[in-house]
Amino acid sequence: MTIQKIFATLDGFWAGQGCLLAEAYEIEVGAGTMAPDTFLRSLGPEPWNVAYVQPCRRPADSRYGENPNRLGRYFQYQVIMKPSPQQFQDLAVASIQQLGLDAHEHDIRFVEDDWESPTLGASGVGWEIWLDGMEICQYTYFQQVGGLQCRPVAVELTYGPERLAMYLQGVEDYRDLQWSDDVSYGELRFEEERQYSHYNLEIADIDMLAKMFEMCEAEARRVNEAGYPLPAYDYVLKCSHLFNLLDARGAISVSERTGMIVRVRNLASAVARTHVARREELGFPLLGEQAEA
Amino acid sequence: MAEPTADLLFEIGVEEIPAPAVLPALAQLDKLLTDGLAEARLAHGQVRTFGTPRRLTIIVSDVALRQVDLAEEVKGPPAAAAFDADGNPTKAAQGFAAGKGLSVDDLEVRETDRGAYIFAQVTEPGRAALAVLPELLERAIASLTFPKTMRWGSLDFRFARPIRWLLALLGPDVVPVEVARLHSDRVTWGHRFLSDGPIAIAEPSEYLAKLEDAHVIADHRRRLQMIEERAAAAATEAGGRARLDPDLVEEVSFMVEYPTALVGHFDSRYLALPADVIVTVMSGHQRYFAVENPDGSLLPLFIAIRNGDEQGLDTVRKGNERVIEPRLADAEFYLTEDMRTPLPDRLESLQRVTYIEGLGSLYDKTERLEAIVHWLCAQVRQVEEAHQTHAARAARLSKCDLNTNMIGDTKLAKLQGRVGAEYARRSGEPEEVALAIGEQYRPISAADMPPATTPGRLVSLADKIDHVAACFRIGLRPTGSADPHALRRAAQGIVRIILDARWRIDLPEFIMLALGNLPENQNAKAIPEEQAAAQIHEFLLARLEAELDTRGVGYDLARAVLSAPSPDLLDAYDRALALRNIRSSDPEDFERVIMAAERTANICRGPKAELALTLDADALAEEHEVALYEAFEAAGAALESALAGPTPDYEAAWAAPAGMCGAIDTFFEEVMVMAEDEAVRLNRLALLAAIDDLLLRLLDVQQIVIEGEA
Repeated sequence: MTIQKIFATLDGFWAGQGCLLAEAYEIEVGAGTMAPDTFLRSLGPEPWNVAYVQPCRRPADSRYGENPNRLGRYFQYQVIMKPSPQQFQDLAVASIQQLGLDAHEHDIRFVEDDWESPTLGASGVGWEIWLDGMEICQYTYFQQVGGLQCRPVAVELTYGPERLAMYLQGVEDYRDLQWSDDVSYGELRFEEERQYSHYNLEIADIDMLAKMFEMCEAEARRVNEAGYPLPAYDYVLKCSHLFNLLDARGAISVSERTGMIVRVRNLASAVARTHVARREELGFPLLGEQAEA
Repeated sequence: MAEPTADLLFEIGVEEIPAPAVLPALAQLDKLLTDGLAEARLAHGQVRTFGTPRRLTIIVSDVALRQVDLAEEVKGPPAAAAFDADGNPTKAAQGFAAGKGLSVDDLEVRETDRGAYIFAQVTEPGRAALAVLPELLERAIASLTFPKTMRWGSLDFRFARPIRWLLALLGPDVVPVEVARLHSDRVTWGHRFLSDGPIAIAEPSEYLAKLEDAHVIADHRRRLQMIEERAAAAATEAGGRARLDPDLVEEVSFMVEYPTALVGHFDSRYLALPADVIVTVMSGHQRYFAVENPDGSLLPLFIAIRNGDEQGLDTVRKGNERVIEPRLADAEFYLTEDMRTPLPDRLESLQRVTYIEGLGSLYDKTERLEAIVHWLCAQVRQVEEAHQTHAARAARLSKCDLNTNMIGDTKLAKLQGRVGAEYARRSGEPEEVALAIGEQYRPISAADMPPATTPGRLVSLADKIDHVAACFRIGLRPTGSADPHALRRAAQGIVRIILDARWRIDLPEFIMLALGNLPENQNAKAIPEEQAAAQIHEFLLARLEAELDTRGVGYDLARAVLSAPSPDLLDAYDRALALRNIRSSDPEDFERVIMAAERTANICRGPKAELALTLDADALAEEHEVALYEAFEAAGAALESALAGPTPDYEAAWAAPAGMCGAIDTFFEEVMVMAEDEAVRLNRLALLAAIDDLLLRLLDVQQIVIEGEA
């Protein structure tokens, strides 16, 4: 099963469960959770069911494209359902079986793995989903996002499509994955990994990144205080990515590290509060009939 | 005729609950139901609990179908208020009777110690168990506690993981329970993949068998045994022996409902990795068991426990082999990278790693550890020159593994020290140095042993006292159950190492040394050195008290010993154990001495605290006070000789005050302490104070609790 077939299959499955099919967010994020469709939409009382593919950047994982299992830019398939439905665990399993995995022939398990994102002030309770000992999904009930309690609780299912595809296609190196029937992952993305690895690990200008971090932090705060949490959040995401770049360049000492994480978290929490307040001003439009009930 | 009974079955179906949470939850469930049934006046038989990742189950045999009737007598107002002068009931009597559902004629008048009162005999007929159990079970679920709970959906209800079904049966009947918007039924679910659809349970006795048909071994004890047997058999077949770490076996038993063992292979080139690393890579994340040769060396094999049967086992094996390979490759990469810089060459780089904000770098810390090691060697005296050299070297290199790639991997971080030991070996350090580096964090838990080597003990003690001192100095003492810096564990380690090594270390000096070594800091929460020293002293004594408790020293004796000033922990420990033996071998004699001594203490402590009492032996005149003085002098000499020398003999020391006992009793009978003449009075008090001081060399008698005393 090609990567694009995996995406199409999951799209079909989750659309069938009432999920909106969204597109990836266009600002660099370290995980699908950081996209506003998860971070901001999981806040507040409005129902929200969505599925999307999110490219993710983790500069510190750059390996010049040479490591068969590690990439500085990779993909996540992200599903959010709020409030979390009673049968969600069964849906998660069914979606995996849709990919052509016969559960009788494999060992599919839910293994405790609670999640926490210090930069987002977010935490949840959940599992890794194992396929024959390999983590292929992360399954999490959000408890707190942006420092705010989640009521109702959103559940998140994040697939690692590269890992799943390597298993399904029986290949040992991401480069050998078929993205489509005609084009391999390596053909598509090896050169990109190579160039970005050089940039992330060697070339990126540390002083410039540090200045940009300061500027983006100030802009996020200013725009949020002006009452525009959505554009403000873009700058929070930029701060997070700049932090990751500085980290990959080895430019952050142990003591600075905690301080910078706290700075990003404070911004994210401030934006989360402003965003919920704004949705409330709007009368939580997605509540629809529920609001009147 | 026997009351009719039926078995009670209660199963809470959940999304996979964390393995460590299952057994404690079952123990709570057992207690909650046992207590609840007793309180509900429902007789019952055996209570059994069963747990899997997806269910918490309790089966109570032979639960009475009806509560025992409750008959009780309720006291009402005084008879004088209940009846008027003519003997007619008042409003008070009528109200009381009506409140109990009785008429005034049903009331009785009876005499009590406080006069005549009216009484009502109230009987509450037993209700059907089916009517009582719903609330009892609902309350049990709500009362279960977990280290971590969560919310889900739109509910405010909290539990370890989402509850997905409830099965509650009393015999053939469903007990209607409602929790978290779920209603109980007679339905359970089998293995997630090896069973089809819901399973109706007609009555509790068929529960275990029906689940087994559905590929769920509900009894965790049986699953544990199956894992041990199957893993052992699989290893034997592969030509080795399974390393069945009991903690891991238990954890795995709560991760599967139907265990099947499989043997996987990895490339034998990874055997060049430190064995600790291989085992941790396998057991840590993947929960595989290692397989070893008869000599204990590892084979390039692992045993995985799959949740399911034999179907597709080969596919599952290949999948697991694919997972372990990159993890071992990562470790191999770390090792290769790390070995480019020999361990000692990493020392300088520790200057850039902060230990605790405001307390310098890890490099500074290793310098402090070296200084503490040298001080300890001087204190302990009998340390050989070579041990001292090795300990100092190990202290210097102790933190060098913390900035290696290997320890930088969070999944391998717990190998700190052990990786350092292996790297030290590979960097050509003496074996003793490597061992000491490897032992520096021990004991890492109550179940772990303290370091076995002298250099290991020295480095571990230094590391722990430095850590405790640093944290207390900047106000990070543990509060309540929160102990994020693991200070209790460190303090417990200090106590255990000292007792294990039988070292005499002057405790106040040890603490002051550690505090004095710390860098000047501007931390806002910092507290003065003397205050920190007092807190640490108290903290360490509390750990010793806990240690004494595990040795059967009663809490009162422990406190009595620790209240008497002590030069070092070992002394207090030996004294407590000796007194424990004396007390248990002849409790009556022990109590006799304590009571005499306590009488002495009670009378002299007040004046002793306020006045400067000086004993003038020549001024003692009465026969019995002179006799007491002579007994005191003899006891003092005996005590001194018993406590002299490097190994005090506390049993002999105890004989000294014991010998004074008769003289004390006679003194109190025959002599008036509070004499009119002030000089006489003060001199007698001074004699008693001297005796009290003598006893304080052993214990503070006022802390001892004697049975029957108020």
